[in-house]
Amino acid sequence: MIKRILALDGVLGVCQFRDDGALVEGYGVLDEPLMRRMAKFAHDYKRMVQGNTDQFSMFTQLVGWAPPGGWIVHGERTSVCSVGNLVCFIDNAAASLNEVMGDMKEAARY
Amino acid sequence: MSSLDDLMKLEGADAAFTFNPSGELTAHQLAADSKLQPESLDLLAHTFVANIAIATLQARGWESATGQGGFYPVKGFTLIGLEYSTVGNGSCGVVLHNESADFEAAYAALTP
Amino acid sequence: MSVYADLALIDGVIAAGEYAWRGDRYHFKGQLSDEMARMASIMCRATTLSTHMQADILCTNIDSKDCPFSESHGWMVRGPQFSVCVMANTFCFVANQPGLLNTVFAHMRRTLMNVTEMV
Repeated sequence: MIKRILALDGVLGVCQFRDDGALVEGYGVLDEPLMRRMAKFAHDYKRMVQGNTDQFSMFTQLVGWAPPGGWIVHGERTSVCSVGNLVCFIDNAAASLNEVMGDMKEAARY
Repeated sequence: MSSLDDLMKLEGADAAFTFNPSGELTAHQLAADSKLQPESLDLLAHTFVANIAIATLQARGWESATGQGGFYPVKGFTLIGLEYSTVGNGSCGVVLHNESADFEAAYAALTP
Repeated sequence: MSVYADLALIDGVIAAGEYAWRGDRYHFKGQLSDEMARMASIMCRATTLSTHMQADILCTNIDSKDCPFSESHGWMVRGPQFSVCVMANTFCFVANQPGLLNTVFAHMRRTLMNVTEMV
């Protein structure tokens, strides 16, 4: 299922990680050690974003923020996007962020 | 705010450094036997900027939710490692040996 | 007695507690309401997770034998009147009295520095 995301324009790599941060599967231009690091980073970042979202909800009492659906770190030329336990990195010039996030959301359900 | 020379006089100081508001390293001093590199200090500086920003969010939220003041404005952040800790505030940071670290002296020295 | 209960007995310590790494469980002693302790636990866990990630990134970029923060063991934050010191899954709110933060750190370092299991 996640191979479909790699086929989208501008997607350079995609991987799925377990709840402990271990790599489940990954495809794209990264070698396996780098793919494992990306899985670990995405897992850590997911938990950090969850923590920040929990605090935002706690302080504001606003509904609809927690749990977070995903996150995007938008760099100058590349971005890293994550939904659920999936993460991918993309070339900003070639990829459609909306398309990537939409497909990630769908793939994360499986 | 103390100079890098003054910060290096803190008990157990291994490194002292300054950084800009983005967290980029602008100046540093290392103890003679320090194993740290400027690149490491640059990363530590970025952790200060990130953590002080989050701590400020927490202090603001805490004060507004509980009515208890005393945490805002944040006066510094410390990352504790196994043998070393690093204390930062404003645009300066210092790395200390845990065995001899005096955190209160470090925070005082880092107060603008 | 647990570490947080010991810490809460130190003169000048406002409150101390511990939180679960996953889920919402927490325990505390001191001058906080139950809701404040719950909020403190959520905040401290969030920052602790963040510092673990930062330490990992730091040491991925430094020769591992020379990395001074091969693992994050805790953190502190300083306010004008109060400070918070966190090691492992134990937090301690202290008044900024002379000598107190160093005393609390020494106690936490002695009892919590080698805790690695995330319960």
